[in-house]
Amino acid sequence: MNDFTELENELKKLRPQTPSPALALRIEQSLVEVAGRGTATAGVLPKRRSFKLSWLGLGLGLAAAAGFLMLARVGVDRSPAKSTGLAMVTPVPGGSTKAVSDILVPAGMTQVVYNTRDEGLHFEEGADQPVRRVRSHKQQTLQWNNPQTGASLSVSYPSEEVTLIPVSGQ
Amino acid sequence: MEDVVTHEDWKVCFAQLGPGLVLFARQFVRTSADAEDIVQDAFVRFWRKQHSIENRALLYATVRSVALDLLRRDARRARREAHASLEMEHTTAPQFDFDDGSQRALAAAIDLLPAEQREVLVMKIWNELTFADIGTVLGISQNTAASRYRYALAALKKNFVAHE
Repeated sequence: MNDFTELENELKKLRPQTPSPALALRIEQSLVEVAGRGTATAGVLPKRRSFKLSWLGLGLGLAAAAGFLMLARVGVDRSPAKSTGLAMVTPVPGGSTKAVSDILVPAGMTQVVYNTRDEGLHFEEGADQPVRRVRSHKQQTLQWNNPQTGASLSVSYPSEEVTLIPVSGQ
Repeated sequence: MEDVVTHEDWKVCFAQLGPGLVLFARQFVRTSADAEDIVQDAFVRFWRKQHSIENRALLYATVRSVALDLLRRDARRARREAHASLEMEHTTAPQFDFDDGSQRALAAAIDLLPAEQREVLVMKIWNELTFADIGTVLGISQNTAASRYRYALAALKKNFVAHE
């Protein structure tokens, strides 16, 4: 039994005010904008990603590589001292499989130029002829291998190079 | 199977639900403009995620969440609203189209209800949510929602009759 039926009916007769027509338009506009974000750029090209040298990444990479090389060197320096006597007393024909060397041998360096920009002619101070300045962005990768263990180490970092090319007047 | 909304029929859904949604949002802010901003934001969020329009609890929970976010962003307004809610001060009444003076008095009586009862009343009467849905929206049990509804009706009956 509901004592409030009559009151509920009275309440239901109250009609909430209709939202302004502008609200529906704003919602439609928002939905269109949202839908548009996932579609093609409609002729607007994506912004070209500008190159920014990551000094922090470069520093950390080089520090890690230096640390690894130092450890490797320490290992190399220590291993002869430890094994000198043993190796001299008991040489194993055919080579020992347990004598592992920590030597890392430089295996190569790759340099990928992924962007080159001609910045035009520039006149350096005191120079009597202009130079053309070319800025190149590269990704350099240094690699080391351990021939015995097959371990490898590679360090990759971005770099920027500015080349000044003398231009002679014709 | 749930009726998943599509981009074509949002206007139909909004025409049906819009007035109740704005009325619900109005429980949190003082002006219709703010309430419409809340509804716009919430409705677009809800629609964009392709929720079922049958999931009324989620729709109203979204409106409530957006409204509370708005209040939090505006610290001064939040303090004012919280103060108003706590002390059950007179706030701007939910806006209705009145046919006669009796309805105006009833709306004024609604305005005197505590905020927690009023929002349950608004969801139940003008948005036709179940107590289970209301409980979901408010994070309370459906029994608590039903109790608040009954308290609201009892208070309305008392106040409305007193003013008649």
